This record gives sequence, C-alpha cells and structure tokens, in this order.
Amino acid sequence: MAGNIAKKKITLALVGNPNSGKTTVFNNLTGARQHVGNWPGVTVEKKEGSLSYEGYDIKVVDLPGVYSLTAYSLDEVIARDFVIDGNPDVVVDIVDASNLERNLYLAVQLLEMGAPLIIALNMMDVAESRGYRIDVNALAREIGTPVVPMVATRNQGTRELLQTAVEVAKGNIKVAGLRLQYGREVEEEIAKLEKIISSNSLSKKYPPRWLAVKLLEEDEEIIKKFKEL
Amino acid sequence: MPLSMVSPGEVVQVVAVRAGWGLQRRLAEMGLNPGVKVRVMNSQRPGPVVIDVRGSRLALGQGVAHKIMVALS
Repeated sequence: MAGNIAKKKITLALVGNPNSGKTTVFNNLTGARQHVGNWPGVTVEKKEGSLSYEGYDIKVVDLPGVYSLTAYSLDEVIARDFVIDGNPDVVVDIVDASNLERNLYLAVQLLEMGAPLIIALNMMDVAESRGYRIDVNALAREIGTPVVPMVATRNQGTRELLQTAVEVAKGNIKVAGLRLQYGREVEEEIAKLEKIISSNSLSKKYPPRWLAVKLLEEDEEIIKKFKEL
Repeated sequence: MPLSMVSPGEVVQVVAVRAGWGLQRRLAEMGLNPGVKVRVMNSQRPGPVVIDVRGSRLALGQGVAHKIMVALS
C-alpha cells in the first residue's frame, strides 16, 4: 500500500446494497472514463474507471450490489474477494440513508473485515423527505469510520467523498473500525479459535478474529480455504 | 399464517421465520426479520410472492413465502 501511495495511485472500491446508487456515484466520479468488463470466469459485470484528483491517479472499481459478504452468491464472493485480495486503499460503502438499518449490516461486515471504510450516506434527500434526521457526526463516531452525506443524483457530496478518500488513503484519517461483542459464550469460542488461527498462514491475509467469526458461522468459502491449506 | 396465504394489497407483520439459520440470516440481511411490516404487492400461484419491505421490493418463491409466518396488522 505504501508503494501505491508513493506512485500516487489509489484504488477505490465501491460496494453497497442493490439500488443504493453505486453506479450513480461511479458515474459521478469517473464520468465517461470507464470500461465494462467481466470478472474472470463469471458473468457478473465488472466496471472500472479512473480519474485524477489532487495529483492522485484514482482507480474506481464498481463491485456487484450485495446485501452481505457471506458466501451465498457469486456476487458476494466477488465483492468480498476484491475487498481482501484486491487490496483497495479505500472501500466506499454506498448506504441508502432512507434505509439505514438494513444498509448498515453490510457496513458492519466490512468494518469487521478491517476494510479501510468510508460510508457514503447517499439519498439524503429521500431520507429527509421521509422525515428522517440523521446525525452524521454521531454515526461516524459510533461506528468508527468517516461518513460523507451525499445526493448522488444531484452530484452532491462527490468532492467531499473524494477528499475523504484521499485522506484515508494517505493515512491522515484513521478508520478506527468496530469490534462487535457477541456475548460471553461466543466470545470465548472466538478467542479459542483466534489463538489457533493466528499461527496459521491465512491470518496474514485475513484478520484472525474475522476468520474465527466466519468459521463459527460455518461460512463455506472460509472453510474451503482452511481445507486447502 | 404463512406469507404465501396473504392477498395482494394487505399489510402484515412478520412474526417468525420458520426456516434453518441460513435462510433466516439471508432474509434478515435483506431486511426481512421478525417485527418488520411488509405489504404484499403480488401473489399468484404459480409464481413468486412480491412484497414491499422497507421500501424495497423482494420477490420470494412460494416455498420461502410459506416459511414466513405473519399476522395481520
């Protein structure tokens, strides 16, 4: 990652629930400078674009819309693998502000993975029209990650998002992350597994605590990775 | 009663999801958990049950809809 920054290149991954406005944000960021391809071996669209901002060459990757990062569908596996294996400098989770509860589920999963996360709180206008008042600062404080309010359809907040992304990539803004407590019994099991996992080569790539949680959830993809060792 | 029995246009509240933890979690990820109100938009056999949940439309197979227990609200 340090090398990337020395070359002033930033990889920014866009994730989010279906219909949260990822593609609108993507288009706002990259304009016409994008090309559509395919993820190798699968028929899920991959979109990449690039832009220059304050001397940085920013590559934007639009990931498939997902509700979570479990291994139910190909979309989810792709999104998860990119967040981990693609080594993005910044992960932007596009959150539908009018549907916070459901959308934050994915955000929590990303934070548990230790992703360098920014929440783009999109559709603020819709949320307001429904009478929701969202305390953006309180949200950022509670979940330990920067939150940028946006109205992507009117291109509002795009600059602020870029600025925040650059600051996170530079390391000027630290993503504190989130450590959910699962209760005593589950925590004991997590601690046991974590201890075993930390001597394992997989823990170099994935946070050990996250691997432990996924094993307890019987996540097929992660179990497969352990079997392949 | 199961969600699959609800007529289009009716608003019901989810009481329980009688399914394995995999499906329970999957539905919860999409915002369909006990307590939430849903409006049935379309329900015809054969064919999926289309519902409005938290402002999003979801299409559920009859089998899945049969496992979601609801009460009229």
